[in-house]
Amino acid sequence: MSSGWKAEILAVYRKELQTELRSKSGLVTAGLFSFVTVVTISLVLFNKNVNAPGSGLQDISAGLVWVVILFASILNLPRTFLLEEEQGTADLLRLFARPHAVYWGKVLFNILQVLGTATLVSVLFLGFTGTRVSVPWIYVVSLIGGSCSMAGAVTLCGAIVAQAANRAALAGAIAVPLLLPLVQLGVTGMRAAFGSGLVGGGQAAAVGLVAYAAIMLAIGPWIYAAIWKT
Amino acid sequence: MGVVTVWSFQVPDAVGFQRPELARIFFWHFPCPLLLTGLLFVGSYFSFRHLVRVQGFRVESETDNRERQLWDIRAVAALELGFVFCVLTMITGILFSLVQWGVWWQWDPRQTSFLLAMLVYGAYFALRTAFTDPEKRAANSAAYMLAAVLPLIFLIFVYPRLPQVEQASFHPTQSIMKGQIKGAYAQVVSAVIILTTILSVWLYRLRVRAGTLELLAEDYGQLETHGGHPAPTGVVRPVSLSDPH
Amino acid sequence: MREALRALSLPAERTAAPPRIESAKGFAHSQKGLLLFVLRVEGLGKRYESRWIFRGLAFSLGAGDRLVVLGRNGAGKSTLLRTLAGLVQPSEGRVELPPEPRRSLGFSGLEQALYPQLTVDEHLNLAAELRDCDARADELLDQVELAYARELPASKLSTGMKARLKLALAIQPRPQVLLLDEPGASLDEQGRGIVEAVCAEQASRGCLIVATNDPTERRLANLELRLES
Repeated sequence: MSSGWKAEILAVYRKELQTELRSKSGLVTAGLFSFVTVVTISLVLFNKNVNAPGSGLQDISAGLVWVVILFASILNLPRTFLLEEEQGTADLLRLFARPHAVYWGKVLFNILQVLGTATLVSVLFLGFTGTRVSVPWIYVVSLIGGSCSMAGAVTLCGAIVAQAANRAALAGAIAVPLLLPLVQLGVTGMRAAFGSGLVGGGQAAAVGLVAYAAIMLAIGPWIYAAIWKT
Repeated sequence: MGVVTVWSFQVPDAVGFQRPELARIFFWHFPCPLLLTGLLFVGSYFSFRHLVRVQGFRVESETDNRERQLWDIRAVAALELGFVFCVLTMITGILFSLVQWGVWWQWDPRQTSFLLAMLVYGAYFALRTAFTDPEKRAANSAAYMLAAVLPLIFLIFVYPRLPQVEQASFHPTQSIMKGQIKGAYAQVVSAVIILTTILSVWLYRLRVRAGTLELLAEDYGQLETHGGHPAPTGVVRPVSLSDPH
Repeated sequence: MREALRALSLPAERTAAPPRIESAKGFAHSQKGLLLFVLRVEGLGKRYESRWIFRGLAFSLGAGDRLVVLGRNGAGKSTLLRTLAGLVQPSEGRVELPPEPRRSLGFSGLEQALYPQLTVDEHLNLAAELRDCDARADELLDQVELAYARELPASKLSTGMKARLKLALAIQPRPQVLLLDEPGASLDEQGRGIVEAVCAEQASRGCLIVATNDPTERRLANLELRLES
């Protein structure tokens, strides 16, 4: 990648980071949502031994972690594009920048956001529920692969609905069908990580998540470039 | 259509089913997911062609406006028809499940895959209703369809064939390959597949023709602006500062 | 059905157009390799649903040309400028601009917003990084007389100050094509003087298009286009 592209992508990424750190609205929303949801779930699982083999609670835990990450992401990630249209600043980017640089800059920022959310959810969930991670590397790879896939898919959905009516709700509605396969893979990976599912299945799921992320991030900029000035 | 329907009632009852006489719903259930899958990928291809122009081996993102509109009409026609077959897949599958196993929904992996495919269709049409500008509507819905191709490939072809999932599925995956459908049953199934394919092509062409006529109707006639006046146009001329305007 | 209008009134010395060769990017040169035009519009039209905003526009502008676009409210002046800037896709026709429009085209529009959390300086630096050009922050802020506010975030700028910053962003890359949509709308007399100076400077660099309702801004131009039914 030439230094021109790198500089442009980093400029968009830095702009996103600067505006988010100064407004903090996305951080607060995602953080609060994650905290409240995990606390609610933990209350439901209170006094239950989630690590008991055969109880089925490990499977439920795996699903719950991904549900929280999924909805926290859908709440927050599309904002990178929606806010540009709502503020009226999208034209600035269209005038000054190239579409691939804009997309990559925003996706990199969203990956950072999702990883942050996923880490927060993991720490809170594992801490409050006492769930034990038997195969840590599958847990970490599933989380990273799933976060990158989610960032790619939801960012693209945000770009697609940015000029639509009722865009905030629509972004989530169109993102969910794209994310369900990756949630399924993520849950399989996490079940294996918690010791409930087969390690082989978990490995395959983790690899699948990384591949899903690679493909979404590869096709995303091209799709965005085709629609960014319509 | 009538002939094939009567024929489907003439064949002997199926073997190995709880209600063999009602297993005939399989004749109409089996082609639906095939057509829904085919139309889904056809619609995705037309969406791709709407967004890019492929000239020789060069791909360019600018296309002639009319050509783009036609690709969009074709994509919508294929996907609308695909959605109809998606609904038919779900209905016939639910009926079969009710008849055979006594429950209408049991989270069978294939059943679930096609439910998620229906969600993708639903999202596509919801997206189309959210844009008032036809160019934005066409471009953004085409983009969504392209983004959905990967999850759809996973849902339809990969997920049901995962070992742990295949074991849990009520759907036999090798019924044709292992020759479990044979004789009169195979003939009826083939006839229904051919019949529904011909019907699909006919309906698709009608829909494309209707869409093209709508386009022509929009373009035909006087230029219009708000209030029915012709669109502004103008001539570039030198500025005259004594001009009273 | 109205026919597409092709007339372009040029100063007498340019009425005979030499033969030209279309380059790969549609940027015309004469056979001697001389630049003939900076911007060319052919059969341009834009519609929303069944309503045509404008249709059949065709003109070319060379270096030194200054075009003012006039018309009543709702005639399509802003839409025309946004179409020329590439912010809106035309429904028919084409616009030919110099290569690398990020650097060769400058646009300042009424509805164009700024990032509320970024300062004046940060806007100029961001634009320079994205366009891969020199930021020239000191020079530009002196030119638009906004140096005193360089550390202020855009949310704290007045409408007139924002207009000056948008003007600075538009001229930052020294564009060959400068598009200004009602540049004097939010500006005081001093600000309007800055706009006049920028327009005069643009004449030596390329072409200028100004859309305006203000009849006094007609003197910024040597050509006019009136959008009317």
